Amino acid sequence: MNPSRRLAGLAALGASVLMLGACAPLTVHSFTARGTNFATYRTYGWADDASRATGDPRLDNNPFFQTRIQTDTDRQLTTLGFEKVASAPDLLVHYHASVTQKLDIGAADQAYACDDCPGPSMYDAGTILLDIVDARTNKLIWRGWAETNMDGVVNNQASLEQRIDEAIAKIVATIPGRL
Amino acid sequence: MAALVLTMGCATMGVGSHVQTGLNVAQYHTYDWGQADALPAGDPRLDEDPFFKDHILGAVEKQMAAKGFERAEVDGHPDLLIHYHAAINRRLEVNRTDQEYGYCADEECRARVFEYEAGTLVLDIVDANTNRVIWRGWAQDTIEGVLEDQDRMSRKIDEAVRLMLARFPRPL
Repeated sequence: MNPSRRLAGLAALGASVLMLGACAPLTVHSFTARGTNFATYRTYGWADDASRATGDPRLDNNPFFQTRIQTDTDRQLTTLGFEKVASAPDLLVHYHASVTQKLDIGAADQAYACDDCPGPSMYDAGTILLDIVDARTNKLIWRGWAETNMDGVVNNQASLEQRIDEAIAKIVATIPGRL
Repeated sequence: MAALVLTMGCATMGVGSHVQTGLNVAQYHTYDWGQADALPAGDPRLDEDPFFKDHILGAVEKQMAAKGFERAEVDGHPDLLIHYHAAINRRLEVNRTDQEYGYCADEECRARVFEYEAGTLVLDIVDANTNRVIWRGWAQDTIEGVLEDQDRMSRKIDEAVRLMLARFPRPL
């Protein structure tokens, strides 16, 4: 494929990630399974997840990263009134984190080029995802996730921790019926 | 094209580290190499390259010695275990250097996208008693033209290990 065709293809792809552009803040989404009433659950535990592949070798099997996500989540769930228990929890919590390189199209889709407009650029998009499963039925009842630009974040431990703190607080805050 | 080559050639090495909160390094004096780690191997071109492994071991041992750590004797009980892991990822980069510096006009200014291979070298330092990772450091850089050139590979590894272990606290 010649470079300009490849670029055109990437530009088309880029349109879909425009909302997650380089200067975009953290965005948070969640959904709740129909008929879920969080008031009926009281306890939770962490699920054993075999795979912790993130797509970023700096974060794969990184205990500092994993511990931060779990302790933050524990703190936020406790604040909402959930209790972590060692056995027979009402809820099982899973987390997943990934980093993917994405294209920020900048102003390249504008009809007229301008001198000062930002051009296209690549950035590392990070996603942290939490799943909550009803331990009795083994069904997913809630999923929340946060996406953010990770450029320069992982290399700085304080920045990474701050970003995780913010992401987990905002994700857990979307659990309905507990505030 | 000259600008593009220049950009790649000067790409700076990205270095970072994570450390256990409140770590007191003064309690550690000796180290040894941990078992080969169980992480996904990364890349067969590195796995089957004994030179690569030997050079990493040598570079790390040199830097650890410079920091005052001793390699534990055979059948000794080291305070620390060191693991390394290498990965290669394909990455894209958009190059607009020409336009930003006013070296082009109109059509020539279009952004160019190119793909390159980024190598990541990760070192994990584990407290041998608790079996917990107390520090992780890494270095990332383009490895275009590096794997097939032992001199360049040596220099890259030396620089990577030196820069990341410079971030490991000194015990003295």
